[in-house]
Amino acid sequence: MTDSVTFNLDGRNVEARSGETIWDVAKRSGTLIPHLCHADQSGYRPDGNCRACMVEISGEGTLAASCIRMPTEGMTVSTVSERAAKARKTVIEMLASDQPERAAAHDKSSHFWDMAELAGVDECRFPKLENARIPLLDNSHVAMHVNLDACIHCNLCVRACREVQVNDVIGLAHRGHDAKIVFDLDDPMGESTCVACGECVQACPTGALTPATLGDTKDRGAIDKEVNSVCPYCGVGCQITYKIKNGHIKFVDGRDGPANEQRLCVKGRFGFDYVSHPHRLTKPLIRKEGLKKDLDVDPANPSTHFREATWEEAIRVAATGLDRIKHARGGGAIAGFGSAKCSNEEAYLFQKLIREAFGHNNVDHCTRLCHASSVAALMENVGSGAVTATFNEIRNSDVAILIGCNPAGNHPVAATYFKQFAKRGGKLITMDPRKTGMSGYAWRDLQFKAGSDVALLNAIMHVIIDENLHDKTYIADRTENFDELREHLKTFTPESTEPLTGIDPTAVREVARAFAKAKAAMIFWGMGISQHTHGTDNSRCLISLALMCGQVGRPGTGLHPLRGQNNVQGASDAGLIPMVMPDYEPVGSQRTAEKYRKLWGVELDPKPGLTVVEIIEAVHEGRISGMYIQGENPAMSDPDLKHAREALAKLEHLVVQDLFLTETACYADVILPASAWPEKTGTVTNTNRQVQMGRKALSPPGEAREDWSITVDLAKQLGLDWNYEHPRDVFAEMKLAMGSLDNITWDRLEAENAVTYPSLSPDDPGQPVVFGDGFPRSGGRARFAPAHFIPPAEEPSDDFPLILSTGRVLEHWHTGSMTRRSEVLDAVEPEASASINPLTMAELGIEAGEQIRVSTRRGHIEIMAREDSRVAKGSIYIPFAFVESAVNILTNPELDPFGKIPEFKFCAARIDKTVEAALAN
Amino acid sequence: MNEHSINTKVASPGIWKKGKGKGRKTTKGRQLRPDALKQLRTLLGDRPRRRDLLIEFLHLIQDEFGHISAAHMRALAEEMNIPQAEVYEVASFYAHFDLVGEGEAPPPPLTVRVCDSLSCELAGAIELKNALEKALPPERIRVVRAPCMGRCDTAPVAELGHRHIDFATAGDIETAAAKGDVHPLIPEYESFSQYREGGGYAELEALRSGLSKTRDEIQREVLDSGLRGMGGAGFPSGRKWTFVRDGKAPRYLAVNGDEGEPGTFKDRYFLEREPHMFLEGMLVAAWAVEAEKCFVYIRDEYPAALEILAREISELEQAGIIAKDGIELRRGAGAYICGEESAMIESIEGKRGLPRHRPPYVAQVGVFNRPTLVHNVETLYWVGRIAREGGDVFGAFGANGRKGMRSYSVSGRVKKPGVVVAPAGLTVRELIDDHCGGMLDGHEFNAYQPGGPSSGLLPAELGDVPLDFDTLQSHGTFIGSAAVVVLSDKDSVRAAALNMLRFFEDESCGQCTPCRVGCEKAVKLMSEDEWNTDLLEDLCQAMADASICGLGQAAPNPIRLAIKHFPHEISKADP
Repeated sequence: MTDSVTFNLDGRNVEARSGETIWDVAKRSGTLIPHLCHADQSGYRPDGNCRACMVEISGEGTLAASCIRMPTEGMTVSTVSERAAKARKTVIEMLASDQPERAAAHDKSSHFWDMAELAGVDECRFPKLENARIPLLDNSHVAMHVNLDACIHCNLCVRACREVQVNDVIGLAHRGHDAKIVFDLDDPMGESTCVACGECVQACPTGALTPATLGDTKDRGAIDKEVNSVCPYCGVGCQITYKIKNGHIKFVDGRDGPANEQRLCVKGRFGFDYVSHPHRLTKPLIRKEGLKKDLDVDPANPSTHFREATWEEAIRVAATGLDRIKHARGGGAIAGFGSAKCSNEEAYLFQKLIREAFGHNNVDHCTRLCHASSVAALMENVGSGAVTATFNEIRNSDVAILIGCNPAGNHPVAATYFKQFAKRGGKLITMDPRKTGMSGYAWRDLQFKAGSDVALLNAIMHVIIDENLHDKTYIADRTENFDELREHLKTFTPESTEPLTGIDPTAVREVARAFAKAKAAMIFWGMGISQHTHGTDNSRCLISLALMCGQVGRPGTGLHPLRGQNNVQGASDAGLIPMVMPDYEPVGSQRTAEKYRKLWGVELDPKPGLTVVEIIEAVHEGRISGMYIQGENPAMSDPDLKHAREALAKLEHLVVQDLFLTETACYADVILPASAWPEKTGTVTNTNRQVQMGRKALSPPGEAREDWSITVDLAKQLGLDWNYEHPRDVFAEMKLAMGSLDNITWDRLEAENAVTYPSLSPDDPGQPVVFGDGFPRSGGRARFAPAHFIPPAEEPSDDFPLILSTGRVLEHWHTGSMTRRSEVLDAVEPEASASINPLTMAELGIEAGEQIRVSTRRGHIEIMAREDSRVAKGSIYIPFAFVESAVNILTNPELDPFGKIPEFKFCAARIDKTVEAALAN
Repeated sequence: MNEHSINTKVASPGIWKKGKGKGRKTTKGRQLRPDALKQLRTLLGDRPRRRDLLIEFLHLIQDEFGHISAAHMRALAEEMNIPQAEVYEVASFYAHFDLVGEGEAPPPPLTVRVCDSLSCELAGAIELKNALEKALPPERIRVVRAPCMGRCDTAPVAELGHRHIDFATAGDIETAAAKGDVHPLIPEYESFSQYREGGGYAELEALRSGLSKTRDEIQREVLDSGLRGMGGAGFPSGRKWTFVRDGKAPRYLAVNGDEGEPGTFKDRYFLEREPHMFLEGMLVAAWAVEAEKCFVYIRDEYPAALEILAREISELEQAGIIAKDGIELRRGAGAYICGEESAMIESIEGKRGLPRHRPPYVAQVGVFNRPTLVHNVETLYWVGRIAREGGDVFGAFGANGRKGMRSYSVSGRVKKPGVVVAPAGLTVRELIDDHCGGMLDGHEFNAYQPGGPSSGLLPAELGDVPLDFDTLQSHGTFIGSAAVVVLSDKDSVRAAALNMLRFFEDESCGQCTPCRVGCEKAVKLMSEDEWNTDLLEDLCQAMADASICGLGQAAPNPIRLAIKHFPHEISKADP
């Protein structure tokens, strides 16, 4: 980067800062030069192709495109010269000549028309392109329309797809005036590899790409209001702007949040119509007497099993039921599942309610099913359960490991940063039994045998020590227990582990060397690491690997478990966990007891409560008979569903608070209609530790209410003295309990939208990287925890020769309760499928698309076979969002001993071609 | 009732039944066909799957199958680990690739390309094409129009497969098709051993071993000779070397053999006669700037030159004069714009030929973003001569007060068209009368193109201007590649100008608005009975001022010169 330069712009001397173009300086000085192909948005480089921003530079023969031209010292530039103005105007007039008339435009308020006005274009004198040369409209995609008659070939959509999102679908094909935007090999958009992130739609300046929801208005500007908020789906925490028209979300744009810089994925852009789905619960419901509790209730018509009630009655019945059990059998007979999809304030209130009203800690949430083991290992060895660095820090890395995660499907916006990292030459190392959308970008892709994580990671660490590549100073200054680890790793040679992992020792060594020699390296992981009976061990290995190479605490280094739900970090921070209070303070400590005696005036139960799967077990054993479930769906998300659903049916009193009659709500005694995310105000904390403000854009339908206020009413009915009028009151109380929120206030979040914790001062946007100066453990040292290789709990056998693994698909969120009610998301993935390698399919004689039966020791499901060469031979991959083929009927409830997380990623399974074949088996 | 809630009274589990049978049976998008992948792998053999070789791989497929199927493009994307869109945008950019989607009919087994650039059009190309379309069986042979093939002295020209047919008639082509003459004819040329016997490569070896001039001295020799870029830009060659030498290693040399400016055929002339003089010149230049590697980019319209170079480069490798792969021969694929040096570099990197923005210049940021010396074939031929024979072999000549030598490609209405290697600065009248046997009988000199369509057309009244760098600027044009096309009183300047703009419309890369839209609009405006000269001038000004590269900047020249010098032709429908 050069220093700033001074040049003459329209007769004035101006200073250009390092990296600024003439266009940038002009804009900063108050002159907006017309621009079409230059987006002037983060992530988009200027391209200089449209020539709408021409300026005259003294001494140069031709004009210059100001968006890409760097000023030099002493240069004289005119934006106002007649020659430059005329060139800009003629260029835009040329483009306007081939546009549909503004009155018939696909987007009347597109940026193009603003620029045409700015350049003074008031007529189109040029003959139009022949009709035969204008590409046909393409409405093949359910979410977006492609109207290339309005295309100006600015290639912003290409940059959006290839450089910003790195989805690599859009190209600019052919040449000259027959150049054409294409998807893959000029395929209809809907049949292409497009993942519908919609970045191109947001980038398009003309209406050549529009959201399908624009419909007949053909005017992106025709909205009533905009509300800035956060996406309700994954843990990335993308900031969004709702565009509201007639009380509906017309469409959504990405905002320049710290995690997403305007980017969104298909769910966050097109997945909001669930809020107005006809299945929405609009009145409290009470179960009719005498009906069997099972799954057989139609969410469109709950009246077969439930009757409508007033809020007063519903709250009374809900509370009375719980109270009755408490009085009969003690508070310990009640358990609560809170939600990682609700706000921080709601999570805080939920755990407080259970702890205060029932005097014990039987409160948990879905973290138990996702990253509990990661958090256990991090707490144990690093002293903190959160990420040590934001995922965006990868921009400062030169090596990165992605293991057991599929960000292209599950954290799609984070994936864009990983792919950009690879494209700029970073060494991306992917490790997973299944190839994912990231594998193609990897420098090395290790497709190891499922369940052999510890063996592989130990082998990598063995090489690092064996070749003396470990960071001795860091180890000496910042860690403990290295000697034990070194001793432990001695036997894990790449050769000795190869039979377990299936990975060539050469590849193990290459990866080990690259990671150890990196200037700055990060490790990202997901459920592939955590959802194992050895999940905590897996995470321990990753922590050791980073520590021994000193790859924590500096820019571009760190440990980052990619958190799944939008607020799983925040809900965990808020204490929605049976062993710890807010900020992970152990329930049993004296200090904690004292603190909450003061803060809540309550005596805490010093005994850790039960976890999700343990609670289900306790129901079967009769120890728990009442539950309050807020926004969770264990009837879909728990392992061994038959068993879990039986437990729900067995409950004496079940209160469910949700948007829809979920599978879990089918078993409820009282259903409380709650608010969707766009219908309420509250803060959420993403995977990056960024606390962000969610704002209310819509009113809940009917009598549905914001979750926090329902919890407050229930608390009052249960006799608690609660007086919260607004989420900000709850946030204020949380600040008293949680040091992590120091310097983060409600007002700040209102003003700044996001603050990362820890924030060191009222102005500090927060620390993206932590632990540069030690760890929150005794002595400030992190610890090496050696991990033994333990095989998965249920290995393939003759009867069940295949490996079943579960997870998600891009379009469907968790158990599908929201996404399957979104038109776009449902249309793209309408049916459950089992992904199987074509070689395995050939062996079993299965055709793609065939209905097959998949069985395990726990049950069977019927499902469509999908051909997918990314899945390893001998494996099956099934997403768990589909009730009609609920894969959790098949999964193994065996738990990791530390994190108490079930082994969703591995169980023994069998495929039968037909039901008849299955019966014969 | 909403669509989700059909059929409510079924047994559990759940209510989502409507999706059954509607899900994708595979992952998103076109699936990889194992058979296509296998064919592709066989074809590619053990070639490294380098991204810059994409165009070479596309040629392999096109040559083997006569077209490029979607299945093969999908397989190529897989094999090279690049997006399908990237394969498609590159493949579709170049005219010589026939892309065939699923369910589309592949082209017939044989293709005749009929040149319709100016010289061939003057010689009856349109009639030839019409005749061929009538005479040839469309299911076996398709007839397509094509831009200049660099054989304007034998117009009209057609290419059957890769066989060029000079002075073509429909009958010749039918005969050739019947005989299966579809491979290029390799002309007699000076072989490696002949060149060696004549002392060839001795100077290169002397330079390399320090027994002759130093790098500075050879550079000075070239600079003093007055040698300038013969591709058309005319930048002093020796000075270019300084810029490249100033850049950090590794450096490259790239040869621009994409001689596409209609009317130009001098590079082919040298390549098909004295390939080693060019190659030695190239190696001398590469030595002088310490270039690690040479890329030789030759247009696909020159199959004979490509074959000759492939053979002779291999001879050089065997003789130990160059290291293995020290010279990479790259084959264009039908895109005039790749004659623009930065577009050529993009093409060498296996991409679409989109010119780059300047600054930076290719001497600083060229092939693979390294400092790159780009020279035209003829320029390097003269570097070879100068190195071997001294600067006077070039600099001691000159006509009408000009200095240096010129290779004029002369075609059109003259008796003896061809390459005229003569002192720089000759006038068109001298070329016609002293070198080309005068005008054709019955034709009177009326207008001429001094240096390709980018230079437009000058009237006979300006027939005494010396043709060289810098002498034509005041007349609103330039010498360019010295592609002189002579028009007579029997020819329409208006039609010739339209021919030129049609060519630019076909060949615009499409990157920037003024050129992409401007050429297309110009053709429409020029096709009107009466030219709207005010509107055309607005268009020309925007194109000249605001286009990224020389194509768009110079494309208005034929329009402006026609308006200036031939106003009587543009105001009526039929001259």
